[in-house]
Amino acid sequence: MQTAILKDQNDRVDGIDKVMGRAKYFAEYNLPGLTYGVLVTSTITKGKISSFDTRAAEKAPGVISVISHLNKPSAPAYEQDGGPAMKIFYTDKIFFNGQPIAIVVANTFERATYAASLVKVGYEKEDFNTDFEKAVSNTKAKKLQGQPDYKRGTENAYKTAEVKIEANYHLPIETHNPMELHGIIADWRPNNQLTVYAKTQGVKATQGAIANVFKIPVENIQVNSEFVGGGFGMALRTWPLEIATVMASKHIARPVKVVITRMQMFTMVGNRPAAIQTIGLGAKKDGTLTGITHRAFGETSAYENFTEGVVNMAKFMYQCDHVNTQYTVVPVDLGVPIWMRGPGEATGAFALESAIDEMAHALDMDPLEFRIKNDPEKDQQRNKPFSDKNIKEAYRVGAEKIGWSERKNKPGSLVNGQWKTGFGVSIGVFNANRGRASLKAILKSDGTLLMQSATSDIGPGTGTGMSLIASRILSIPVEKIKFELGDSSLPPAPSQGGSATLSTVGSAVNDACVSLKSTIAELAANSNMDATANFVDVLKKNNLPSIEVTKQSQAGKERDEYSMYSFSIHFVKVKVHSLTGVVKVDKIVSVGDSGTIVSPKTARSQMVGGAVGGVGMALTEESVIDHRYGRYINNNFADYHVPVNADIPEIEVHFINKPDPYINPMGAKGMGEIALIGFSAAVANAVFNATGKRIRTLPITPDKILTSS
Amino acid sequence: MINFQYLRTTSAKSALSLIAKDQNSKFIAGGTNLIDLMKRGVSSPEKLVDINHVPLKQIEMHKDMIIIGALASNTAVAEHEIIKDHLPLLAMALNAGASAQLRNVATVGGNMMQRTRCGYFYDTEMPCNKRQPGSGCGAVGGFNRMHAIFGTSDKCIAVHPSDMCVALTALDATVVIAGPKGEHKILFKDFHRLAGDTPQLDNNLKADEMIVRLEIPLNSIGRNSHYLKVRDRASYAFALVSVAAGLEIANHIVTDVRLAMGGVAHKPWRLTASEDFLRGKEASLENFEQAAKIAMKDAKSFGENDFKLVMAPNTIIEALTLAKSKI
Amino acid sequence: MQPSDKEFNPGDSRRDFLKKSSLITAIALTPAVAVKAAESQADERFAELFEKIPLNITVNNKAFKTSIEPRVTLLDYLREELHLTGTKKGCDHGQCGACTVHIDGERVNSCLSLAVMNEGKKITTIEGLANGEELHPMQAAFIKHDGFQCGYCTPGQIMSAVACVNEGHTGTRAEISEYMSGNICRCGAYPNIVDAIIDVVKGGSKP
Repeated sequence: MQTAILKDQNDRVDGIDKVMGRAKYFAEYNLPGLTYGVLVTSTITKGKISSFDTRAAEKAPGVISVISHLNKPSAPAYEQDGGPAMKIFYTDKIFFNGQPIAIVVANTFERATYAASLVKVGYEKEDFNTDFEKAVSNTKAKKLQGQPDYKRGTENAYKTAEVKIEANYHLPIETHNPMELHGIIADWRPNNQLTVYAKTQGVKATQGAIANVFKIPVENIQVNSEFVGGGFGMALRTWPLEIATVMASKHIARPVKVVITRMQMFTMVGNRPAAIQTIGLGAKKDGTLTGITHRAFGETSAYENFTEGVVNMAKFMYQCDHVNTQYTVVPVDLGVPIWMRGPGEATGAFALESAIDEMAHALDMDPLEFRIKNDPEKDQQRNKPFSDKNIKEAYRVGAEKIGWSERKNKPGSLVNGQWKTGFGVSIGVFNANRGRASLKAILKSDGTLLMQSATSDIGPGTGTGMSLIASRILSIPVEKIKFELGDSSLPPAPSQGGSATLSTVGSAVNDACVSLKSTIAELAANSNMDATANFVDVLKKNNLPSIEVTKQSQAGKERDEYSMYSFSIHFVKVKVHSLTGVVKVDKIVSVGDSGTIVSPKTARSQMVGGAVGGVGMALTEESVIDHRYGRYINNNFADYHVPVNADIPEIEVHFINKPDPYINPMGAKGMGEIALIGFSAAVANAVFNATGKRIRTLPITPDKILTSS
Repeated sequence: MINFQYLRTTSAKSALSLIAKDQNSKFIAGGTNLIDLMKRGVSSPEKLVDINHVPLKQIEMHKDMIIIGALASNTAVAEHEIIKDHLPLLAMALNAGASAQLRNVATVGGNMMQRTRCGYFYDTEMPCNKRQPGSGCGAVGGFNRMHAIFGTSDKCIAVHPSDMCVALTALDATVVIAGPKGEHKILFKDFHRLAGDTPQLDNNLKADEMIVRLEIPLNSIGRNSHYLKVRDRASYAFALVSVAAGLEIANHIVTDVRLAMGGVAHKPWRLTASEDFLRGKEASLENFEQAAKIAMKDAKSFGENDFKLVMAPNTIIEALTLAKSKI
Repeated sequence: MQPSDKEFNPGDSRRDFLKKSSLITAIALTPAVAVKAAESQADERFAELFEKIPLNITVNNKAFKTSIEPRVTLLDYLREELHLTGTKKGCDHGQCGACTVHIDGERVNSCLSLAVMNEGKKITTIEGLANGEELHPMQAAFIKHDGFQCGYCTPGQIMSAVACVNEGHTGTRAEISEYMSGNICRCGAYPNIVDAIIDVVKGGSKP
């Protein structure tokens, strides 16, 4: 497709397609006979469907079928006991408000939309609770252990420390809200052959999920997802609405496209769960941390459990002999949450990193000094050395760039008219993993390299990073390299999540290219060519149109010996208006300590994007529910405030850029999560430094500034 | 949405006759609010009369007033030299609203006619007296962070979402309305209504009438002015509180002043008592603070919007201070 | 651009038809294809034929003559009828800017414009911005400054950015940011987008 040529080897390999509007996302495939599905959703929060009248809808112009629990096609897995509680169209139960309960299929989008409004549903209502905070404080409410309790040294040691702090931190529900609306095109053909165009972070996962529900061989299912308009975690599973669409296609034997509405994006495709956390910290007067206690309650759904790593960071991020954590999940009658960028670690980091700042203040220490003093030499949780950690250097670089020396330790010291200036810092950390992925690489005598793996690109620039790795090993310019992904027929790779794609798939790219390089060298030697001969000449001399290799990457023994993490340090300078309570982020410096930087341009963008997401988490984002009705009240882009361009200042990104000697052959670690983890605390800490107001409930909106003491 | 009937016309007269025939019909101009409401099922007209080609886009300077046609786009007004020179307050308010894309098609008349952003109004599954009279008010006792503190009724505490209208209220504009019996005028401050017992009515325009133009008196108030909008993000968000402030000062004494607020009432909220207090007084911070205090006299909050009792007076003080700094 | 006809009431016949005429009378007056449709479908489905109205529109310098239901938005017309899928649906309510196109040279959210309201208008979408394979300077600048990640908001950002430059709202970074705030980017490429626009204004990004 691309004929225009990239000018810079570091530019995105799919950049031209994206800026020309020809990158095709799932909803943009025009299949012959395509129909349009629109979901009917429940308007009660809990109960049962008692009546269902589809006559008017079925008679409306252009309507092909209305599919619901009354007439669904067979999904064998749902006919068995067990499995998920929410078996779409196999249950008349309502688990949350906005649950899909029928799909209306018509020959145009407008007709399907109108007809869906004609479906009449009667309900038997039951009592419900969507209020997480209420459930947490209700001693009778169901509560589940989210993770085994952790204890090192004495429990609650902070309570007897020379200096102690204890505080509660509240996070609201956040919604991923990628720009692309969720949905799927399903084309069920005779003999149980199925093609789907999906919005997924893992084509193999989608393929497996559908195969499992319909009990057809995975080979029958082709999943395409070349371009994904953002995911941030919400496309890490196959949602009921996708299964519903496949059912609809199976039922009418035509392709069906469903694109859900922005309002539906709030109810049926997950969210970052609300959380209430208590942090207790104890320290000696000299600033030595002596006790960390981190207790967290996280939201989950009543029909399916969800847990994440909220309390992980407390266990290893600071040198401290006495640490205990507890993580409890509390079900409410809402759709099940799912990991959202930085997942639970970002939730936990807001609390922990705010508390660290509070302790520094209690000790009258510069928070930077306090952090550096308690920087761990080794991972005390696993009792292993870190494979690679350069936090002190990252703190130093960031402090210089943000102008930390201007900061005053006494809050409210920098005042200019009504504007008060403050500085904040925090750290982010996330597991650095290398998973298992396969990759096929074909080196051709026309001078090109084709690589194939069923991985994804939800935005970070998978193909760009992989092409750069290959380019450096094989000395091929990026424009001669093609990286194919987002296709379930390619060699298997895991879903894109947990900041592991570069490490996982990149390792396979590395191994494949190293292998190709040595094959070329062997061929050159065998044909009496110079060892440095161009591979095109070598292949031609050997009458080979191409050579190919398939390699699989996997974690090695290094995991047993080292503790592996990516780190980030966030520095934020804010201005707070004392009369209106408006917080303006004035400057951001994020420093990434995540091994070798493979793709400098896209890596920088990821850090920038994480900071922007962090600004949203800190200052603007909250999904609000009216608990009397169990319905979201701000479920749109006008009222759920994702930051806009004017909210964001210039962002400086720096990388330590030192290879992690153990993680993988590139020495590179992921940064999708660390770009955001901890960021919200840096903002809260800066707001405190500016105003003396410690806001422990996100988002820090102007009203909270004005009304907190 | 239903597949409504669509008609297009090029004259105000024919527009009025087309709409008069059918109860469930509506004019469409920019459509930026109406189409949104139709997609949400809040509004379901069976007939739309497209008035975009009616020649009402004029922006003219007359001897003692500026005339703006009802179909002039928000951008056309905000970017017009006459407006920038003589009514910067109006330009500021317009530019504080929506986005460049929306302002390009949203019209002056449409801006005046836009409905509240109250979430209960927008969700047809929740109670709302404005959308469905008698169904109750979801916001009283619900999520009312964005809601009114002045002139509320137990039927509705929604706010009018416009920025432009706040400036026009402050600027003493007059609305010219055409109806079956010809044209008549109404003061801008009387155009929008309080909710009272009829929250379904946002304003005093009758179903068979249309806004044709605005008349804005020329004075220097519009120049020494500031529109300050406090919101949850820096742009593209509705006001928590906004203030339009205009000042004339001679020898440190306030000789004339205009104050109006947005985000606090069912209509743009003119602060007449505060204006009266300030006239003839020194343009000092103390007097600005006193004026703000006077403005809050009858304020009533509903829980989640309690903060507006602090934010509103603070914003008045800051807007006056900023307006003063421009003199 | 003025419409050619003074008053255009295509819907009248349909509404009156539905309300006043019996199906039988109507069949006598309608072409064979409609009769066939009426015989096999219910009366509401027969009415479909009367639900559409004519539309003449120019998209990326290509003239289209069609008939369309009035409720179809310009966005859905572009994406579903013309298969010009470069223009994106991000919210469908004028709250994100992903659907930004130029109508007679001005940036507009195509999700809040009915296709029929654009009779006689010239629409430019992202597909019409480049000159063949030669990128528009703004497209080149977005690549150079990495003004996107997932790419979904990108066409809207670029159309908006081109308009922002044409409007002259590029005096400062702050002004650019303000006038680009109608385009939400969830990946968070904002600073890079501003860099790209500044580059174009300075003439640095030649395709």
